[in-house]
Amino acid sequence: MIIEGRDITTLLHETADVCIIGSGCGGAACARTLAQAGRKVIVLEEGGSYGAADFDGTEETAYQRLYQQRGAQATSDLAVTVLQGRCVGGSSTINWGTTLRTPEFVLDAWARAFGVRGMSMKEMEPYFERIERYLNVQAEPEDRHSPNNRILLDGCRALGHRVRANGRNVRGCVQAGACGLGCPFDAKLSANITYIPDAVAHGAMVYADCRAETIAVHGPRKRVTGNVLDRQTRRPRLEFTIDAPVIIVAASAIQSPVLLLKSGLANASGQVGKNLTFHLTTAVMGIFDRVIYGAGGIPQSVMCDEFMNRNGEAGGFWIESVPIYPALAALALPGFGPHHREAMRGFKNIGASIVLVKESDSSGSVAVNDNGRAVISYTSGPLDRLTLRQALKEAARIHFAAGAREVKTLHTRAAEIGSPDDIDRVLDAARWGPNDLALYSAHPLGTCRMGEDPLRSVVDSHCQSHDVRGLFVIDGSVTPTCLGVNPQLTILAVAEKSAEWVAENFRKLSS
Amino acid sequence: MQRVDFSETNGYIRRTTRRKEHVQRSSRRKFLKRTALGTLVLTAAKALPAPLLTDVFPEDVPQDLLYFSRHEYRLIRALASRMVGEAASGTREIDVALRADRYLSAADPEAQDQFHTLLTVFNSPLFAFLFDFRFSSFLDMSSTDQDSYIEDWMASGLEFRRTGFQALKRTCLSMYYTDARSFAEIGYHGMFLPTERP
Repeated sequence: MIIEGRDITTLLHETADVCIIGSGCGGAACARTLAQAGRKVIVLEEGGSYGAADFDGTEETAYQRLYQQRGAQATSDLAVTVLQGRCVGGSSTINWGTTLRTPEFVLDAWARAFGVRGMSMKEMEPYFERIERYLNVQAEPEDRHSPNNRILLDGCRALGHRVRANGRNVRGCVQAGACGLGCPFDAKLSANITYIPDAVAHGAMVYADCRAETIAVHGPRKRVTGNVLDRQTRRPRLEFTIDAPVIIVAASAIQSPVLLLKSGLANASGQVGKNLTFHLTTAVMGIFDRVIYGAGGIPQSVMCDEFMNRNGEAGGFWIESVPIYPALAALALPGFGPHHREAMRGFKNIGASIVLVKESDSSGSVAVNDNGRAVISYTSGPLDRLTLRQALKEAARIHFAAGAREVKTLHTRAAEIGSPDDIDRVLDAARWGPNDLALYSAHPLGTCRMGEDPLRSVVDSHCQSHDVRGLFVIDGSVTPTCLGVNPQLTILAVAEKSAEWVAENFRKLSS
Repeated sequence: MQRVDFSETNGYIRRTTRRKEHVQRSSRRKFLKRTALGTLVLTAAKALPAPLLTDVFPEDVPQDLLYFSRHEYRLIRALASRMVGEAASGTREIDVALRADRYLSAADPEAQDQFHTLLTVFNSPLFAFLFDFRFSSFLDMSSTDQDSYIEDWMASGLEFRRTGFQALKRTCLSMYYTDARSFAEIGYHGMFLPTERP
């Protein structure tokens, strides 16, 4: 059963076997596994519960209802916009459906550098396969790629780069293009229409509009305290407490460390909130003579991973398509005033691709401010800034190869490239400091990293805190290294595996 | 501290030198609370008599503002017209400032405080003089000077001014381009490709 905040009229006190904080990929997968195992599960979600009928395909409605800080979440210097879901289903409700396995070299690095056990490709493959079947993950056939995705596909093919259709978790997709605004057709198999309903069918209780504020531990007993929020104002309305012997924090790589830091828990290593990675993201926008209309069609069905390990251990990048909605485009286009407005008038002719950097020397962290809110800090390293420049150059070449007559980057002071011959000159002359280039991340990861060394990691290979038995962190926080792929499937697989271990060991954990 | 430095050669990144680390970390909080310049700006902004930072209230300001003062409303309205660009036709009715007022009224208290401070600094003739040798507040500048002043913030060597520019640009443009009345001009027709629209 899903209970919305407005339906809670008195102080709430509940008990459960397992209390899960967060209903995104991590929390939802845990809820389903544990509820199916017969455990009494309560899921707390800060955001609201919405369905297809609530999604109208507009940015205004979507950002307001579905996004953390209504789409305005950013690092403290506003240099990187951090896009995350805040609703039942979490970011799976608003992502673009790309579902990719964790690369084997990444899983190997987890074992090698952090001693992670039980997560080799051989051990994870059954989870990937099972989840891919459950979520109907398939690559789109050639004739379903949108004009915006064809830019990447055709440009890469012309240049001889490796390019492929990526897996997507959809069934009956009508190619509306609204994945990032909540699918109005229930075609994207996000957690809010898959894992959560399955968990509920097995007895899980989901409380929407309920924000956990602290966790208290008294021996095997644990208590989550928080507030029921008014959905419109986001102001606390009522308090709640949930008692459970097992707590799973699955509130994302931004909110999970905040909760642990506020609670003073699980941080003997001093690593909670540290090691934040972003898959630092920016874009090129190609101006085409033909209509692209990036707001329609499948938003993201093609990826180029030719450059994934271009710099070896030092990192690399990959390129994907990105939907183009009006406000998103307006913020991304450089400059302001008449020049900007003229560029917006060419909206239908803009194609865009994002470049995502697998970071190697950037540093990020999440801390808590005096109001108990997240403070996100991030400093890009010199190598990653060079990788970013390299990535934009390659993406610009791809757009020209696909027929663009001009390519723009998201530099604050316009970097406009009129021909392939100008790419190096323009981008080598551009500025690369904070707020010189619009940067984004939809993949914050790593702030409660997993490992077997309690001095260097927050949770063990089962995602259980090294410090507190029965306290787990199971979401994007636990990835010990940068992934190099969209993280949805990784989080789901780690969550299912860890939740199975919780179910098997529940008696021991609760005594 | 030592740091590895990198350069790009023939499209590939090479490790080239080592030198002392000079990490530039910054944030709005650091600007406001830790840097000498930020402390000076914030202290001065709060210490100045209100008449130096504001002007008389105009008549054409909504009475039911939730977040902005009437003066701030007028500032955002003027700023939005420069940020968005003059309307070709039919889009003047989008009141960006009023939409921003409603949006910011539900923001975190800390973000609200920071935005108030940003507006104070942005419109202050004192800071316009200190930063750019200008002698009037933003609201008193001509349109051409307003554009030039915004550009100074956008391309400033001071990171906090670039951050401020981003905050102002995001506020104005997101309020404008999430309003359905802006869609016709840019040819946005909602979901689906034009050829596949049901």
